[in-house]
Amino acid sequence: MNNLLIPVLLIILAPFIGGLVYGFERIVKARMQRRIGPPLLQPFYDFLKLADKRRMIVHSAHAFFGIMHFVSLWFAVGVLLMGGDLILVVFLHLLSSSLMILAGYSTRSIFSHLGANRTAMTLLAYEPVLILIAVSIYLVTGSFDVSSVYKMDQPLLYKLPLAFIALLLILPIKMKKSPFDVAEAHQEVVGGVELEFSGIFFEAVYTAKWLDYVFCYTLVYMFAGSNVLLGIGLMVFTFLYLNALDNSSARVNYRQMLRFSLGVACSLAFINLLIHSIF
Amino acid sequence: MYSFIAGIFILPVIVSGLLLFLPSKAAKILVIFSAVVLSAISVYLFIQVDQPFYFSVPHYINEIVAGADILLLLYFGFVAIRKKSLLVGVMTVLQLGGLLYLLKILPPAESMQFMVDKLSAAMFMLINIISGIIAIYSLRYIEEEDCSSFRKKYFMSIMFWFIAVMNMIVSSDNLEYFFLFFELTTLASFLFIGFRKDQESVGNAITALWMNQIGGLAILVAIFFIHYNGYGEATFSNLLTHGSATGILLPLAFMSIAALIKGAQMPFSKWLLGAMVAPTPVSALLHSSTMVKIAPFIILRLSPVIKDTPVATVIIALTGFVFVAAAVVSLSQDNLKRILAHSTIGLLALMIMMAAIATPVTIIASLVLILFHGISKCMLFLNAGVLERVFHLKQTSDMDKLGEVGPYTSLAVTIGFMSLLLPPFGAFVGKWLSYLTLGAFLQEQRVFGALVIVFVAIGGAVFSLLYFKVMGTLISRTGNNDHIEFEHTGKIYKTIINLLMVMIVLCMVGLPYLLTHLFSPVAADLVGSHIPIVTEGWNYYIGAMKLPMVPLLVAFFLLPVTIVAAMFVQFKKVDRAKEYMCGEKINYSFSSFYFTTDKAAPYFSTVGILFFIALIAVALI
Repeated sequence: MNNLLIPVLLIILAPFIGGLVYGFERIVKARMQRRIGPPLLQPFYDFLKLADKRRMIVHSAHAFFGIMHFVSLWFAVGVLLMGGDLILVVFLHLLSSSLMILAGYSTRSIFSHLGANRTAMTLLAYEPVLILIAVSIYLVTGSFDVSSVYKMDQPLLYKLPLAFIALLLILPIKMKKSPFDVAEAHQEVVGGVELEFSGIFFEAVYTAKWLDYVFCYTLVYMFAGSNVLLGIGLMVFTFLYLNALDNSSARVNYRQMLRFSLGVACSLAFINLLIHSIF
Repeated sequence: MYSFIAGIFILPVIVSGLLLFLPSKAAKILVIFSAVVLSAISVYLFIQVDQPFYFSVPHYINEIVAGADILLLLYFGFVAIRKKSLLVGVMTVLQLGGLLYLLKILPPAESMQFMVDKLSAAMFMLINIISGIIAIYSLRYIEEEDCSSFRKKYFMSIMFWFIAVMNMIVSSDNLEYFFLFFELTTLASFLFIGFRKDQESVGNAITALWMNQIGGLAILVAIFFIHYNGYGEATFSNLLTHGSATGILLPLAFMSIAALIKGAQMPFSKWLLGAMVAPTPVSALLHSSTMVKIAPFIILRLSPVIKDTPVATVIIALTGFVFVAAAVVSLSQDNLKRILAHSTIGLLALMIMMAAIATPVTIIASLVLILFHGISKCMLFLNAGVLERVFHLKQTSDMDKLGEVGPYTSLAVTIGFMSLLLPPFGAFVGKWLSYLTLGAFLQEQRVFGALVIVFVAIGGAVFSLLYFKVMGTLISRTGNNDHIEFEHTGKIYKTIINLLMVMIVLCMVGLPYLLTHLFSPVAADLVGSHIPIVTEGWNYYIGAMKLPMVPLLVAFFLLPVTIVAAMFVQFKKVDRAKEYMCGEKINYSFSSFYFTTDKAAPYFSTVGILFFIALIAVALI
């Protein structure tokens, strides 16, 4: 009973936790730039403000896709936290992103289209790496289930160090951080795929980003296996790394991103797979 | 049972003959009637066939088969002279020489020529049901074709004759018979592709002819080696009993080459890509239920002996490569039919790969892919026909208004693409099983297995990118058209597309049932042992493979229902806003990324040729 309680609580609170991480991230990022930054709860204030705005949509299907993006992402996070099949998790995550891409394509808005195109490119960049990591985990544990990782006596990190580095390399793509924030490119493509959402309907897309934080950090935590301290250490390290990287690097274009991710990150994960399967 | 099998062979031939003479009203009734009867027989046969059922035909049929072979080759020779095609000529001479030599040295056949087992029966269902649906659709399509009324009858006639040949090829055990039917399917594709008689059609038909003739030649070589190595008669069942005999790799390699060519694997993908110049039902027929499905069929048939041989290794490497290459090249395509053709090549590669790995679960994966790909591709191609005829659209980049003018067709195409790609549709399940089993394969094959997984993962991601690109264009609309009204495309078109959509949904909902009652028995028959499929707690087990049920079920509701519902959902009491245009008032043409990946195609062909050389080389060593 007890080992079910924590994941269920985490799943229910996932958007809230993600929101807090996001708020904290804004503070840390600001401090790195020698600014004070917004209060910790700023994302939630924004949330409340958005709820109060006039309701406007481009068309119903578009708004509906946005909402379903949030729902399906939450479900993917749920399966991940419950220790489900990792390949399925990757696919569910692909599914939720695909709904966002479809939302972008479904309007006749230039920037929305541009954003959708770029988001599709990021999918192409990180999906193979995630699948490779899943397969590596299968090799180590003999099962695709995430829960099997927590049952190992040794943290996954020691067996798959390169796969972890590969994960670190694709996380900026996933979380839209510089130098790989091609999907939204801060202001350059006017918000990209999120552009045509507003008010209460933007809320879904906005909180989905918080869920993405939970998703990514759970993936990181997974590499620590049953070692809780190491897990927290890894998450803190990843957090600092992502923000330092975001603050200190310039954006690359989507070709460079693709080349880097498929060339370097994918190869790293592959080499790790090879090393593990040979020895 | 014998009479039913005879029926499934002979009925389409009779229908084919009758269609040449009957007036169009009567032809319509006959086509619909025989499609239903053939489907019913195939389902009945699948239920009835339990043990492999061997039967022979009278002795004089052997002579007829040999005669038909020679006549057919003479016809090909005639084509070569008339169209001045050197390649067809060379192939024909080689084939004819080989055939005459074999007829001279081979002893007369003693054993049964035909064998119907679970696999054949499953193929019967695919062939007869899907082709029947396509035939009914063609009634309407061909009416609008710009050609004489006799050629319209002729078109329907070849279609049924093709169905008959396909039924025979999947049940022939004797390789000489198999060769004849193989060549007859080649002939059918030649006639179909050249149907429109313009220069491009004729050129592509010739390409299809000589490429497939190489496949026929490979079968002759395989027969020769079976005889030369002294295995006795050239039959599939005889080949299967010689699993560990010396020199077995050569006939296997040549049979695989025949399969890979029929399956349009690189560098032989050109013939299938060229087939799109024919009327659209032809593409639907070639891609979904007939012709290319011979490829995974041959490999599945031979899977017990091919398994774990160097031949299998090369086939797996080749198909892994083709899966990525087809995906990459398809990114540069804009024509809907070309996109579909490339995805056929890619998915065929996956089917052949699964069949060549030949563990119980991969065989199930291969079968799942064969069936679901058949239904999905059939529906997509028939929709491409509707788009062409009703909306006059061929390029995907022109389809961005389809969501407004033809929401029904746009929905149907979207569902078709989803069923190729996403959970919980069958093709997805097939792909997912592939990943899961490749993991297990990796533990045995190490480095090689890892490479294959990388290929499948990247190819899968590129295909998803492509499908989203197309799906995105199809569903776009503006706030003015929030309320949709389905368009009328015509009675036959609409009935057929509806039927196929219902079939997709039924197959999806009934997947657990299909797994236990359709796929698992067939696979068990092939691997020779029972594959347990059980439900335990929240999981579903296929052999040792575990599928979590709850997430799969939720995924089922989430995705398809979302995309279908998005068509109908309406938010009331919410204001509509115009899209943000950054203050510009220009008319912007919406398009996706254009990729120029087709430049890589020649390189891919070269690599493909190297793989084919490797296939023969490993068999020789």
